[in-house]
Amino acid sequence: MNKVININFQGRILPIEELAYEMLKQYIESLRSYFANEEGRDEIINDIECRIAELCEERLKKGTVCIAVGDIDLIIASIGRPADFEAQDGFEATTSSFQQNGDQSRSSSTYTSFDTTSNRPKRLYRDEQNKVLGGVCSGIANYFGVEPLIVRILWFFLIGVNILGYLILWIAVPSTSVKVVGGVRKRLFRDIDNKIIGGVAAGLSKYFGIQVWIVRILFLIPFIRFVVNFKHMHLFQFWDAPDFPNLLDITFSPGAVFVYIVLWLVLPEAKTSADKLEMVGEKVDLNSIKNTIQNDMEGFSKRAQSWGSDLYNRNKGTNHSNEANDSNETNNEGTARTHNQDAYRSTEKRKGFLYFIGRIITLCIKGFVYFILAIVGISLLAALFGLGAAATALLPLRKFLLEDGAQTWSVIGAILLFVWVPIIGIVTAVIRKIAGFKKANIWVRSSFWALWIVGWVMLFYFGTSLGNSFSRHNVPEEKSIALANPKVDYLEITAAPKMKYYENHWFQITPFEGYYDEDTVFIRNLKIRIVASKTDSFQVQVVKLSNGKTIQNANELANKINFELTQQDSLVYLDKGIGINKIDKFRNQHIIMTIAVPLGKRFKIANKGWSQTNININGRGLRTGTIDRISSDDNWYDEWNESWDKESYSFERGVENKMTSTGLEKIKRATDEEEQDQKEDLNSDRPTQIQKELNDLKEERKKLQKEVERASKKGSNIEAEGDRAAKKVSKAASKLSDWHWVLDRFTY
Amino acid sequence: MDIQNTQSQMRKGVLEFCILSIIQQGEVYPSDIVEKMKVANLHILEGTLYPLLTRLKNAGLLNYRWVESISGPPRKYFVMTEEGKAAFGVLLQTWKEMATAVNQLTQEKTNTVENSNQAAS
Repeated sequence: MNKVININFQGRILPIEELAYEMLKQYIESLRSYFANEEGRDEIINDIECRIAELCEERLKKGTVCIAVGDIDLIIASIGRPADFEAQDGFEATTSSFQQNGDQSRSSSTYTSFDTTSNRPKRLYRDEQNKVLGGVCSGIANYFGVEPLIVRILWFFLIGVNILGYLILWIAVPSTSVKVVGGVRKRLFRDIDNKIIGGVAAGLSKYFGIQVWIVRILFLIPFIRFVVNFKHMHLFQFWDAPDFPNLLDITFSPGAVFVYIVLWLVLPEAKTSADKLEMVGEKVDLNSIKNTIQNDMEGFSKRAQSWGSDLYNRNKGTNHSNEANDSNETNNEGTARTHNQDAYRSTEKRKGFLYFIGRIITLCIKGFVYFILAIVGISLLAALFGLGAAATALLPLRKFLLEDGAQTWSVIGAILLFVWVPIIGIVTAVIRKIAGFKKANIWVRSSFWALWIVGWVMLFYFGTSLGNSFSRHNVPEEKSIALANPKVDYLEITAAPKMKYYENHWFQITPFEGYYDEDTVFIRNLKIRIVASKTDSFQVQVVKLSNGKTIQNANELANKINFELTQQDSLVYLDKGIGINKIDKFRNQHIIMTIAVPLGKRFKIANKGWSQTNININGRGLRTGTIDRISSDDNWYDEWNESWDKESYSFERGVENKMTSTGLEKIKRATDEEEQDQKEDLNSDRPTQIQKELNDLKEERKKLQKEVERASKKGSNIEAEGDRAAKKVSKAASKLSDWHWVLDRFTY
Repeated sequence: MDIQNTQSQMRKGVLEFCILSIIQQGEVYPSDIVEKMKVANLHILEGTLYPLLTRLKNAGLLNYRWVESISGPPRKYFVMTEEGKAAFGVLLQTWKEMATAVNQLTQEKTNTVENSNQAAS
């Protein structure tokens, strides 16, 4: 099935197959370049075109529906190809005496029955027809007469993906193109028509006759490897000395970039149509096989040499003919163009060293800029991808935050359209670009944009709607929490003992980093502030806070916060967190806890436990020395945010502090081992205090022992009750062990 | 000795003369030239003929005129100018001299070959 087009060719309307048309166009182009230096070139081409048109019309008159590839082949054969002109440049007598030289005969029988396996000795060729990369495997297969697939598989398993061996064979083994299709003097050009950066990859692909994306991927593989390689990600971190990629190592991207820049520098651009023809290699028919083989045998250096002298001659010739033509003014456009091109080349040579250096510098800069752009681009894409992945991974948690209906749908829509759509769009665009496909058609592109804009809208809607849900906060209300034993001299605030859990550092989104069971998430939004107590006992006050759509809603949510403290002698355990369920949602519920410390008493906030806790040491509270003042202060909520003491920032956890009339005083640094703390405590150089503490401890120990007994009784009771819920038992057991633990500590 | 090269040199030498002799007989269309040469067992590609005609025309030996054709656009027919006729006369003279000379030489050679053959038999 072939597409037929109508062309107006030299005043004749010809229906012609598209393929045949392409062939014809290429043929005329080849003639044009062949006669480039001929005086009256356009006239010659015009005459030949006329003749072709006439021949075509003759064929149509004979009843052909349209001009097919075969017709063009015959016409071209009768008029002759440039290679034929070169070979004979005249006419040939086909008398019998000339036909004895078999290998040079051009009789029609040789055209059709050209056979690779005829009388010639078998030779290894790369098979240009059935190639994947260079045709090495299929060539070997042809040589041994087996299926190419078998050779490919064997190659893969025996030699591995041995690129080097393959490359050597690729270069060393001549291509079948020298026999069948192939090109007359191919030259490596930069293909500026299909370029992304410099057209190097496109030019290489044209030269080797492979798909352009293969070359681009080969250039990109080391680059991608470099970016993906996490060892090199240190580049983006300030604290780790980056190990800069080795420039000489080809496997790294700078190596590939280096090769690219060198090629960019060395290769000429395919400017004229003749260059472009040479780049692909003109297709030849069987007439020129002999010449082609001869050319190929001559080897690369010789060819390059001959090309150089050819160029020189051409240059000279054009100058000469220009001078000759000045008088009769028949100098046509084509000659002028060739002349210009040659002149361009020679001036390029003349500009010489400085120009060359300048070019190197600009290219290096360009290369560097592209390199940076690529890294930035890939990083942005990675960030977008990370955002998308994180958002998608957190979707199961949405019920704890989002209202059903529009809010949920808008967030899902925003993730899909705002994040994933551009990722897919960018990735496909990059692949298309690399593969050298045409840009996706306007409808696809505009629908991508439209989807993204819808994503923006959804994101905006989601933002405002969520903001609205958080827009009000409750009326703060301060509540005292009664401590079991407020008179202790030392208070340590620590997290409730809990099961070990592992944090996943990848997706640590602050409010949700606590427990998570099926219908409740525990968040640990707690701020602690420390003031001086008016009385001689510790006091704790708690304010529960929440945001909400309305003040009423916020109040409700705040009241629902269930937060308890448990005191075990000098230890105060914080609850495991603020429970957030799927009905009430997360509306920034948080707690501000005020701890009033009596003068001269010590306290400590343990290092482990609630890592998110903010600690505020309130200077004003301290100055007045009263806890009453704060409770009567309506604006304390704002005050929290405004009146941070300098000390607050440097508050050190795990350090024992003492409340004095001038402020907090650090008693000593904590070490990692808490037992050691106690030990050092005992050995410290304040004997009276230690003595006092020791007494305290002894008292506490007695109390603890009593409590343990009581607890174990209780425990045995529970055990006796037997059928009680397993939960309770385990709870009691854990409590028991805790007490033992505490006891151990103090009996030390 | 490169026989191929010599052959092509020989053909090239007489090519223009052959073409001129065909045109000298009267107004002619390029493809007719190819046909006539084919009949005489001399093959020429049209791709080589057209540049040659253009060259001869530019040299002033030929001229062309557009002739209306029954089908399609007018065709370019070549005729010989006075200058061309003069040049052809000179070439003809040269050819005759050369043909005689070459014939004489080749005849002698072939004769000796034949004689030696006869002597051998």
